[in-house]
Amino acid sequence: MTVNDQPANNVNGSTELNEDEIRRIKTKTGKPVIGYICCFAPPEIISAAGAIPYRITGKPGKDTSSADAYSEPYGCTYVRNILARAVEGKYDFLDGLVISHSCDMVQRLYGIWTYYHPLPYSYLFNVPHQLTPWAQRFYKRELGFFRESLEKFTGQDVPDQKLSNEIISYNKNRDIIRRLLKQRKEKPPRLEGSEIFELLLAGGTLPVDSFNRLLSEKEVQFASRRPVNGNKPRIMIWGSIIDDPALFKIIEEAGGAVVADDTCIGFRVWEKDIPVTADPYDGLTEHYFVNFQCPRTDRGPGIKRFDYLLERAREYDVDGIVGYCISFCDPHKFDYPDLRDYLKKEGLPMLLIDDNYSFEPEEAIKTRLQAFLEMF
Amino acid sequence: MSHSEMSRAIRHLETTRKMKDMLPRFFMRMMERRFSNEPLAWCMVGVPPELLKAFDLLFEWPENFGTMCASRLVAPKFIEVAEGDGYSPELCSYVTNTMGYCKLFKETGEAPEESPLPGGMGTPAMLLGSGFICEPRWKWFQSVATRFFNVPVYSSDPLAPPWDIDPHNPRIEEHYLTLLREDLAGQIEFLEKQTGKKLDLNMLRDILSLSHEALGYWRDTLALRKAVPTPMGSTDYFHAIIPQMYLVGDQEAVDFYREMYEEVKDRVERGVGIVEEEKYRFIWFGLPPWFNMGIFNYLESFGAVFAYESTYNVGDFFDVDLSDPLEAIVRRTWQRAVKMHDYGSEAMPELCNPAVFGGFVGSSLLDELVDDFSLNGAIMHLTRSCRAVSFGEIHTKNRLAKAGVPSLVFESDMADPRLWSDAQIKTRLQAFLETVDRAKEGGKINDS
Repeated sequence: MTVNDQPANNVNGSTELNEDEIRRIKTKTGKPVIGYICCFAPPEIISAAGAIPYRITGKPGKDTSSADAYSEPYGCTYVRNILARAVEGKYDFLDGLVISHSCDMVQRLYGIWTYYHPLPYSYLFNVPHQLTPWAQRFYKRELGFFRESLEKFTGQDVPDQKLSNEIISYNKNRDIIRRLLKQRKEKPPRLEGSEIFELLLAGGTLPVDSFNRLLSEKEVQFASRRPVNGNKPRIMIWGSIIDDPALFKIIEEAGGAVVADDTCIGFRVWEKDIPVTADPYDGLTEHYFVNFQCPRTDRGPGIKRFDYLLERAREYDVDGIVGYCISFCDPHKFDYPDLRDYLKKEGLPMLLIDDNYSFEPEEAIKTRLQAFLEMF
Repeated sequence: MSHSEMSRAIRHLETTRKMKDMLPRFFMRMMERRFSNEPLAWCMVGVPPELLKAFDLLFEWPENFGTMCASRLVAPKFIEVAEGDGYSPELCSYVTNTMGYCKLFKETGEAPEESPLPGGMGTPAMLLGSGFICEPRWKWFQSVATRFFNVPVYSSDPLAPPWDIDPHNPRIEEHYLTLLREDLAGQIEFLEKQTGKKLDLNMLRDILSLSHEALGYWRDTLALRKAVPTPMGSTDYFHAIIPQMYLVGDQEAVDFYREMYEEVKDRVERGVGIVEEEKYRFIWFGLPPWFNMGIFNYLESFGAVFAYESTYNVGDFFDVDLSDPLEAIVRRTWQRAVKMHDYGSEAMPELCNPAVFGGFVGSSLLDELVDDFSLNGAIMHLTRSCRAVSFGEIHTKNRLAKAGVPSLVFESDMADPRLWSDAQIKTRLQAFLETVDRAKEGGKINDS
């Protein structure tokens, strides 16, 4: 049985269930599973090299004391959560680990994890912080070194055509996702934001074809839904990594509809196709480096750097923005005052949720959200 | 915390005591030029000061301004203004100090009266950032230019290979050197455009030559601290780094560091230490609490001295061929990256990035330091607002424990005295000294 034969109903937005699924696929296919954090090291290359890319997620709110022996309390709570799970052996199905130098904390995670718990394969994908021509050239060269390391590990060559085919396969999923996202423009939307987000989460934890089957099934299911009556405040979420639908659900329970987001597992990675270019590494550079809107990349001063966000807010007719910042998330926390002022000038109110990657206490967060939603 | 708990440092060297006269003279010279409306660049550590000298550019270091605000206990005021503006208390207190300062500056059109320098940092005509050391630096000048001073910004972007990539592989070396070279060229192009001057390579070579001469004396001075008793402590060390920012490349810096070297050498020859009886020899990890540098003297009162500090340690990566001065700047950055890689790959892989100056924690380097400097303990300052330097200290502690060296991690901050808990910290320091006593007697090392 190939991965293509997997029934889609084995998978869903629960990353925990998908962990079981990925173990099953691994056993069936014999392919190594390579976990990754952040998208700067493209999963398309991992997949083209004959491995299964698996987006590593944490478990919000779980005890992280097992990380204490290796890392300081004053660090990104998401990183500490992942480290604790790694220490506890929760990622024992991984054959490899790829971490991008996206932010300082994630980079440190790579060193600590691989020092204390080495894996058969590991790679730190180095990423410049600027978008200068030389930074882009460096990134493109780094893609090449990354491919070489994977080829060495899996023993499979990755000619350009194979990589291009992989990109096209992933883009097919993006195509379906865009159709689903379009439905979020309805007033009110028939699909809950949390439903879409769970799907996007699944996209990181499943092989490309399994994800394609899941998306296709869900699209059919969603198409038969009846329009609903009434209007809800339309919310966009901006901020740190979110790998659990909890915040989406809290907003929905508070009476809002999450119609868009600007987070790294959400819109940022799925909204647009990877350009299919003669040299596939050009398209990957454009998608995952130049256009990937993580605030860790320096796009120069001025509020113009948030224009993309405003355009999205207008496209989805957003009423307000909920900012979400994980403790010690420097890139987002530094951007918050600039973004808040920019949005205010544009008539878009913003509420900031400062969280320690637990979404707790839920009632307190919900109360704040309810007060925010009453504005609309 | 009350301000009365904070104490200024007592320095032990004549040379560093003389800085109290030398630096104001320098700052007055800067002020005079500033009043003549010469363009001023705000810079970050990592921007080669030699390059700034070669462009005869006026410059100021917001990081250093942060340390001065901290030592004068005015940083909390600026930090609180920034927090009122939406900046999280978790963010780097050097940055929030700058943001609060800028906000007050813009509101009144002049430097806040609390500023430690007359005229404060002045109005920048350009911002020269660097990703060397940490990530908040990208956002720092981005925000300054967005919110307060709409001036051109250039941020340099040095990268180095991670621990498991071989920097001696010629392809890898070229991969990184290409980035460093192109980045430096971009920085120079920016400076030429902003100053209207062409870079004079001969002048740059001369400046580098003077700079490396001064740094050579500094390196040799630090090596003298291997002597028992150590002839120089942390209060001298942390103050003596300041001329590296402002005066390096000038003859004045060469004279300063040579004089310091001679003074320290003389103390070694005469067996003069900084305490009456040297009972404990430690290594310091992390940034110092600039608002309470007297804590080092407090420890000295128990016979505890530091013979080595991990931060601001320039190493000796300036022994390069100066015939091509630009290549020399690139090579010294690269040499540092490779050296840290070779030393650190075993212990703290992610700290191999030259962008992290806590990179002196590589295990083989640690072993060398413990032996060479006769160390019997380590104190680590876990700075809440600076994870770049402090995230990794637990790992260092693990490594030291394996080597039988006791260590203490205590929490506070480099610029924000609100995070200082005097009684608690002093109690822990005293308890640690007892732990070291037991360890010296062959007892078990408590986990401090």
